Amino acid sequence: MLMEPLTVWLAERAIFTPDTLAVYWQGIKTTLALVSLSLLVGFVISLPLSLARGSHHGWLRRPVQAFTYVFRGTPLLVQLYLIYYGVVFIDDIQESWLWPLVKEPFLPALLAFTLNTVAYTTEIFHGAIVNTPRGELEAAKACGMSRPLIYRRIVFPSAFRRALPAYGNEVILTLHASAIASTVTLMDITGAAQFVYSRFYAPFEAFIFAALIYLVITLTLLYVLRRLEARFNPQLRGVRKQRRKIMAFGNAIPQKP
Amino acid sequence: MLTNESEVLLKAECIAKRFGDTHVLKGISLTARRGDVITLIGSSGSGKSTFLRCLNLLEQPDGGELEILGQPIRFKMTRHGRLPEDDKRVQWMRSRVAMVFQSFNLWAHMTLVENIIEAPIHVLGMPRRKALDRAYELLAKVGLDERADHYPSQLSGGQQQRGAIARALAMDPDVMLFDEPTSALDPELVGDVLAVMRQLAEEGRTMVLVTHEMDFARDVSTRIMYLNQGEVEEEGPPQRVLGSPQSVRLRQFLSTR
Amino acid sequence: MLNLHGYGMRLAEGALVTVELAALSLIIAVLLGLVTANAKLSKRRLPHLMATLYTTLIRGVPDLVLMMLFFFGGQMLMNDLSDWLYARFGLDLFFNIDAFIAGVLTIGLIFGAYMGETFRGAIQAVDKGQVEAATACGMSRALIFRRIRFPLMMRHALPGLSNNWLVLLKTTALVSVIGLSDMVRVATQASKTTLEPFTFMLFVAVIYLLLTSLSEWVFKRLTRKYNAGFTGGRS
Repeated sequence: MLMEPLTVWLAERAIFTPDTLAVYWQGIKTTLALVSLSLLVGFVISLPLSLARGSHHGWLRRPVQAFTYVFRGTPLLVQLYLIYYGVVFIDDIQESWLWPLVKEPFLPALLAFTLNTVAYTTEIFHGAIVNTPRGELEAAKACGMSRPLIYRRIVFPSAFRRALPAYGNEVILTLHASAIASTVTLMDITGAAQFVYSRFYAPFEAFIFAALIYLVITLTLLYVLRRLEARFNPQLRGVRKQRRKIMAFGNAIPQKP
Repeated sequence: MLTNESEVLLKAECIAKRFGDTHVLKGISLTARRGDVITLIGSSGSGKSTFLRCLNLLEQPDGGELEILGQPIRFKMTRHGRLPEDDKRVQWMRSRVAMVFQSFNLWAHMTLVENIIEAPIHVLGMPRRKALDRAYELLAKVGLDERADHYPSQLSGGQQQRGAIARALAMDPDVMLFDEPTSALDPELVGDVLAVMRQLAEEGRTMVLVTHEMDFARDVSTRIMYLNQGEVEEEGPPQRVLGSPQSVRLRQFLSTR
Repeated sequence: MLNLHGYGMRLAEGALVTVELAALSLIIAVLLGLVTANAKLSKRRLPHLMATLYTTLIRGVPDLVLMMLFFFGGQMLMNDLSDWLYARFGLDLFFNIDAFIAGVLTIGLIFGAYMGETFRGAIQAVDKGQVEAATACGMSRALIFRRIRFPLMMRHALPGLSNNWLVLLKTTALVSVIGLSDMVRVATQASKTTLEPFTFMLFVAVIYLLLTSLSEWVFKRLTRKYNAGFTGGRS
């Protein structure tokens, strides 16, 4: 019933034709692929790195510290440009089997985003590990647990719970950062919007539509993260007051790190 | 010392207060003349702290009249409930009625002496030099002159409370309100604070206090009011109220202390 | 050692643009943030609703998209405005928004939302007892805010403020995409003409690291100032 006026309205604005919507759809797929891959790979790499980051051994700790310092202290755009434009300069790359892969913007973008999220995630996990309550560690040691066992059964599970808010934050920020990939011609959601803008000279429709897509994905992610947080923190259940949905989302959308 | 013609400094009539559906205060009246030391006693939930906080309008009474130093406080009905008409009058009143809190509430970002001179300078317009001189006198009076430049976090609970009393005295108040001043203190520290309060009473200060320290109340008060479920059940000189209590509940209350 | 191919001067100018852009945006963001925080904590429905809408929308959409929307949309609005003025009144005026001003306003607007959340949390974290004691002395609301609320709030706000600033600083790089001549844009152009992207991008990266480190040093000193009297625990 709502479809009739909606289709009439859409038809009046020739912008949202099936073709344009297809471009946006491609963009959504690209964005989601980029974000989920970089988060997944980033998560896995961050685990050992966060341990190294807290190590007593300087030779383990200092390289990781330097890495996170550089990648958190410089703009993602600069990192992306370095990798995207710089990859051409690797000797003989154009002849190798890698070339068809890296000349497309997807892999360089993926690499840049992965490195970036590794830097932030490592610091997040490191912070969570370091903040393990001393009492829990002492109790474990007093039981006679070995070091690897303590890490596996006490430190890591507890650290995951502690890191969840900050990591959820990081997930959403990675989604937002992915828009930068459009600057190296990657056709993600923002790339689609830029395409539509340049084609139809309609900045409002093009970018507002993209903004809405991001907003919907963000709110969905927030909902999932909230459920996850509740699940992993059973002691907090029932303490949260009921809030109207928009207020809840509004208050939960994360701070930048 | 006390005569029947002593001026009335504070008069509260039929103060009523409601939190949601709960009637915390059901019409309590109090008249404080110069030199009176009135102690409110009762079990938790009897409304004594709420009543005290109505006297300087930290809580807004839903019903009843309030008169400070002969000046009545007028109320108006607003969307948010019954509020004082004249904010400036309320501020003036609060500069004449000082309060000492259960949790001291010294300003954490200021040293002790800075705490004491803050209100005289900014509310009374006292010159800084004069305020400092008075502050040091008061600190000596409560035995804290060596701690003048300490921050509250560097002081024990008893020292903080004595500092808070000095801060209250700095305004040269006509009436002093004490809201369970020793309830948050370790037992060893209670005595020092009570000694200061005893000295104030002997000097003829007009005080209204809420406390659980029965011995102190008996020694120092000119009148005791026993509150139960928002009403005054018994009232009179300490010997009568504490020595030969009439009501059953008061007898029960006293027997547990 | 470092051959900037003659782009040194332009890079320096670009760096200046970056810093000015960030500093001015910060001022706007902080002011907007204080207003937003107050609105969000207001008991009245309208300010609360508007503030929530503002923070939700801004924080739910990528910065780059917002920038493009404001910038390209704003350009179009300006064009339409001049067209309309000409059609209606015969006025031949052309509005040209300075890209720098557009950048400042946009980044300020975006980070105002983040600052709003930082300030809101900080204001709420102030111990109510401290405010009560000030009220009980007869201080006016303005006085209470100036002497008690604000100093105590700053202590809680500083970490969030510092983080927001650091992110703001890095976000200024995005204005190069809109066409503003900050140092990233200069570096991009230089890379394209000299075919030495590493030189210029690394140079820019180093400048950002310097700015970041400087900011963190300032933040440390501010933290020490606003934490005077706190050994950790009571606020």
